[in-house]
Amino acid sequence: MRNKYDVDEQLETPFNFSHLKRSFVYVNKYKGSMIASLCLSIVAAVIGLIGPLITRRALDVTIPEKNLTELALLAGALLLCTAAAMACGNISGRIMTRTGQNIIFDIREDLFAHLQELPFSYYDDRPHGKILIRVINYVDSVSNMLSNGIISFIMEILNMILILIFMFFVDAKLALVALSGLPVFGLIMFAIKTRQRRAWQNVSNKSGNMNAYLQENIVGARITQVFTREEENARIYDKLNDRYRSAWMEAVKYSNLVWPATDNISTLVRAALFVVGLVVLPAGTVSLGTLAAMTGYASRFWQPVMNLSNLMNTFINNISYLERIFETLDEPVTIDDAPDAVPIGEIKGAVSFNNVTFAYEDGINVLENVSFDVRPGESIALVGPTGAGKSTIVSLISRFYDITSGSITVDGQDISKVTLASLRSQMGIMLQDSFIFSGTIMDNIRYGRLDATDEEVIAAAKTVCADEFISKMEDDYMTQVNERGSKLSGGEKQLISFARTLLSDPKILILDEATSSIDAKTEALLQKGINELLKGRTSFIIAHRLSTIKNCDRIMYVSDKGILECGSHDELMSRRGAYYELYTSQAS
Amino acid sequence: MFQIKWLLSNMKGSRGAYAAALCLSVVCNILYITSPYFQSRIIDTFISNENAAENLANNRSLFFWLLGGMVGFTLLRTVMQYCCNMYYEKASQGMIYKVRTHLFRKIENQDMSFYDKFRTGDLMTRLTGDLDMCRHMVSWVIKGIVESITLFTASIVYFFTIDPATALCILAMTPFIFIVTRLLSAHAGPAYKRVRETSSALNTAAQENISGNRIVKAFAREEYEKAKFRRHDEEYRKANIDAAFVWLRFQPWIELTAGGLSVILLLCGGYFMIQQHLTMGQYVAISGLLWAVSNPMRNMGNYVNDFHRFLASAGKIIEIYYEAPRIVDREDAEKEHKFRGEVEFRNVSYSIGDKKILDNISFHIAPGEHVVIMGATGAGKTSLINLIPRLSDCESGEVLIDGVNVRMQKLHELRANIGIATQDVLLYSDTIDSNIAFGDSEMPEEDVHTYAKLSAADEFIEKLPQKYDTLVGERGVGLSGGQKQRISIARALAVKPSILILDDSTSAVDMETENHIKNALDNELDFDCTKIVIAQRISTARNADKIIILEKGHIADMGTHEELISREGYYKQIYDLQSGMSA
Repeated sequence: MRNKYDVDEQLETPFNFSHLKRSFVYVNKYKGSMIASLCLSIVAAVIGLIGPLITRRALDVTIPEKNLTELALLAGALLLCTAAAMACGNISGRIMTRTGQNIIFDIREDLFAHLQELPFSYYDDRPHGKILIRVINYVDSVSNMLSNGIISFIMEILNMILILIFMFFVDAKLALVALSGLPVFGLIMFAIKTRQRRAWQNVSNKSGNMNAYLQENIVGARITQVFTREEENARIYDKLNDRYRSAWMEAVKYSNLVWPATDNISTLVRAALFVVGLVVLPAGTVSLGTLAAMTGYASRFWQPVMNLSNLMNTFINNISYLERIFETLDEPVTIDDAPDAVPIGEIKGAVSFNNVTFAYEDGINVLENVSFDVRPGESIALVGPTGAGKSTIVSLISRFYDITSGSITVDGQDISKVTLASLRSQMGIMLQDSFIFSGTIMDNIRYGRLDATDEEVIAAAKTVCADEFISKMEDDYMTQVNERGSKLSGGEKQLISFARTLLSDPKILILDEATSSIDAKTEALLQKGINELLKGRTSFIIAHRLSTIKNCDRIMYVSDKGILECGSHDELMSRRGAYYELYTSQAS
Repeated sequence: MFQIKWLLSNMKGSRGAYAAALCLSVVCNILYITSPYFQSRIIDTFISNENAAENLANNRSLFFWLLGGMVGFTLLRTVMQYCCNMYYEKASQGMIYKVRTHLFRKIENQDMSFYDKFRTGDLMTRLTGDLDMCRHMVSWVIKGIVESITLFTASIVYFFTIDPATALCILAMTPFIFIVTRLLSAHAGPAYKRVRETSSALNTAAQENISGNRIVKAFAREEYEKAKFRRHDEEYRKANIDAAFVWLRFQPWIELTAGGLSVILLLCGGYFMIQQHLTMGQYVAISGLLWAVSNPMRNMGNYVNDFHRFLASAGKIIEIYYEAPRIVDREDAEKEHKFRGEVEFRNVSYSIGDKKILDNISFHIAPGEHVVIMGATGAGKTSLINLIPRLSDCESGEVLIDGVNVRMQKLHELRANIGIATQDVLLYSDTIDSNIAFGDSEMPEEDVHTYAKLSAADEFIEKLPQKYDTLVGERGVGLSGGQKQRISIARALAVKPSILILDDSTSAVDMETENHIKNALDNELDFDCTKIVIAQRISTARNADKIIILEKGHIADMGTHEELISREGYYKQIYDLQSGMSA
C-alpha cells in the first residue's frame, strides 16, 4: 500500500510480547556483560545495606558510650562502603554504556542491511523520511530500554521480592494488608497502559508524517518556491505539527498519571496498615515494633513498584518504536537470491526473454508474452511511446523486479537462479535520474568501480567528454558536490553518471535515456565514446532521439505491452510501419 | 549564554504556562519535604511512644485527623504535581511548535546557496533530534535544576534551624560538587559536539542511501553501502561511548561527595552528640532529610551533561534559525499586478563561486513571444532562466519583467506569474491530481484534466488504475521519465502563467508526444503567455520567434531559424548534425 505524508502507517501486526522477546536476541549476545553488570549492581545494593547498620551501631552504642575512636572508625567504614558501592556502580555503568551502544549498533546494522535487500517498490511506496526516521531516531530511542532498562527492571524486581519476603517474615497478616493495594494498582495500570500504548503509537505516526513532509519539502524547496506554494505548504506543515502536538499531549496525559496513581496507592496502603494494626485488630495482636517495621517495609515496597511503573512508562513509549523497527525488518525481501543460487560467472552477453509477462500492480500487465533473443555483443535499441514499457524491459534484465510468468535468461541461465550480486555487478545501467552522492566528483565516478585508480577515473571522464567541464571546476575532480546542489547542471550530472557506468566495465550495458539532458553537440562528441563503449558488449539503448540509435544492430519498437516491430534501421524503414512513421516525423 | 536567550525568546506564548509550572515545581518540592510529617507524627505518638496505647485510646480523633492529613496531603501534592507536569509539557510543546514552524518557513524560503551548504539529512537531524533536545531542556533539565535547588535550599535552611553547626559541616561539602561539575562541564562540551557531528554524518549516509537506492542496486553496491554506513555507525557509537565515559570519569567524585554527606553527618553529628550539643531527635531529623541535599548534588552532573547536549543542539538550530535568505522582497517593491510577459536582460552577469556562468547577457523578449534557448551542457542555460523567477540573483546588470527590475517586484507575485517545468522533475508523494494542482490547490478537477490534456498526460493517467487519484512516490518514482515530465508541464501550465519556462522538459518524451505538446502550447492555451524554452533539438526550435544560442556564458548568436541556418555557428552545426541523420 502506498503511503503519503498525511496518512498514518498502519501497523501490520498487533502488539504482542514477541516483539519484546525478539529484542532479546540482540540483548542475548551481550549476556556476559549484562550478567556482570547485574552482579555488580547486586553487590552495590548489598553494600548499600551495610550503611544503615553502621549508623545504627553508632547511634545505639558508640555515641552513648562517647567513644570517639570508634566513631571515627565507623565513619571510615561508612566512607569505604560508599566508595565500594560507587566503584561497583561505576564499573557496571561502563559495561552497560558499551553494551547499550553495541545493541543499538547491531539493530541499526541489521535494519540498514535489510533495507539494502528491499525492492524498489518499498522505496517507491512511502515517503523516504518515514524510512529514515526508523534507521536513526527510533533505533536511538530504544537503546536505553534494552540496556540499562533491563538491568533496572531486574534489580527492582529483586528488590521487590526481597522486601516481600521480609514482610511475610515479620507478619503475614499485615503483609497481606500491605499487598492489598497491588490488585488496585494492577487494575489502574491496565486501564492507563492500553490507552497509553495507543497514544504513543499515535505520536510516532504523527511524528513520522510530520518528518516525511518536512523531508519532501527540503528536497523540493525549489519547486515550492517556483510555484509560490510556501504559504500553503507551511500551513500543511503547521497542521501536521499541530496534530503531533495534540497526539503528544494526549499521550503524556496518560503517562503522567502513572506516578501520582502509584504514590496515592502507596499512601493509602500505609494508612490502611495503621488502621488495621492499631484499630481493627484487637489491641496487643500486633506488637508496636512489628507495626513500625511493617510501615517501614511498606514504604520501601512501593518504591520499587513506583520505579517499575516509571520503567513501564519508558518501555511502552519505546515499544511502539520497536514495533516500527521490527516491522521494517519483517518487510519481505521479494527479490532475493534463490536458496540454491550460484554466481553467474563471467557474462558473455546473450539475453533471452521467453514469454515474459509482468505487472507492477496485480492485474495490470505492463508486458505480455514478450519474447526475444539477443546475441552476445549485439546492440539493441528500444523505441516507442512514453510509458510503453521500455524502461520496464531493461529493468527486468537486472532483475529489479520479478516477472509474473515466463523466464529471462542471460547466457542461457535463468536470472532468477543466479546470485543478484554476480548478475548486477556485470551490468552497467544508466538510469533516467542521475543520482549524485555528496562527496567529490572523483568519488562519484569511482562508485562504478571502487578499486579504480585516479587515472582510470579521469580516463573514463575523458571518454564521455566530462573532463572538460570538470577540470574547469574550482577543485576539478576533488570538487565537493551534493544531490541537490547547484554546482552541476542536469547534463553534467548525466555525464558524471555516464563516466561512472563506463568505469564499471559492464558486460551488458543499459542506457535508459542516458543522454537526454546532454546537448546535441556534446552528444555528437560523446557518440564516439559510446561507440567505443558498445564494442564487444551487449547493449540496450533507450532514446527518443533516433540519431543516437540509428547505428544499433537491431531496433525494437515497444508498444501495446509487447514488441511491435523488430529489425535493423533499414529493415524497419522498408517495412513502413510504426518505426518508419516515428522516424519520418522526427526528420521533418 | 545565547542559546538560553534564544530559547526564552521562543517561549513567548508559553511563558505563562511555564512560569506556572516552575512555581508549582517549587511548591511541590517543598510539600514533598514536609509530607513525611504526618506519618512520623503517627509513629511518634501512637507507635513508638511509651504511652502509645493510652494516646490511641484517648486521642482517637487526632489519629484519624493525622491519617486523613497523610492521605489528603498526598492527594493534593500529586494533583499539583500532575498539573505541574502537564504545564511543562504544554510549555515545551508550545516552544518546539513555534521553533518548528519558524524553521520550516525559513528552510522553505532559502535560495540555492543554502541548499549547497546544508544537506537534507543534516537539516533533518536539526529538526528532529536537535529540536527534541531543546524540548528536553525545557521540560526536563530546567525543571530538574529548579527542583534540585528548591530541595537543596529548603533542606539546608531547615538544617540551620535545627543546628547551624551541623548544617555548616554539611554545607562544607558543596564546593567540591561545584569544582567537579565545572570540570565535567569543560570536558562534556566537546564530547557532545562530537556526538552531534557523528550523528549528522550517520543521518546523511542513511538519507542518501535511501534516496539513491536505485543507483545502489544498479551497481550492486549493497556491500559497499553497508561498509560505509557501518563506518559512520561505528564513529557514532564511539562518540557516544566517549561522551558517556566523560561522565563516568567524574561520576565517582560526585558520588563520593554526595555519599560523603552521610559520613560527615555521622562524624560531626556524632561528635556534637557526644559533646551534648545535638540531641538524638535533631540528628534523626537531619539524617531523615539528608537525601534532599545529596540527591540534588548527584543530579547536578546529569543536568550538566544534558545542558551541554542542549548547547550543541541549540547551536545547530540557531545556525539555520537566523540564516537569512539573500533573495527577499525589497521594501519598496512594486504593488501586485498581472504581468504582460515582457522579459529583458540588460548586461547580466552571474557567477557561482569563482566560476563565471553568465557574462554580460542582453536580450529582449516581447510579450507573447516564443523563445528557444540552446547551447552546450554547462553553457549557463538553466542559470539564465533561474534569474527570471529570482531563484538566484544576478551579480551585475538587470533582469526586467514588464520593464521593472525583478528585484523591485514582490517575490511572491513575480513567481506566481511564472510557470516553470524544471529539468529535474520533482513530484511530491501525493496524488497526481494534487501534483498538477500544486500551484493552486483549490483548482477544480476539470481544469486539472484540461492541463493534463494539453501536456499530453491525460492519456496515460486515464490508464492508471486510480487515474488522477493515483499516488506517486517521492520524486515521482513509479512513473517513467517522460510521464513525470508531462505531469511537470501540466503543473506549470495550471498556474496560467504570464511567462512559461520549460527547462528541457520534454527530453524524455517521444517525438510524437512532443509535437502534441508543442501544438497545444502554440494554439490551445486559453491565456496569453511568453514562452521560454530550453531545448536540444532543432525540431523544437524551428518555429520559435527567436532562438538564443548560449556559449560559455555569453550569447553567441540570436535570431530566427532561417537566420541562424544561413550563417555558420553552433546552430548550423547542430542543424547539420541532426538533419544529417535523415540524409
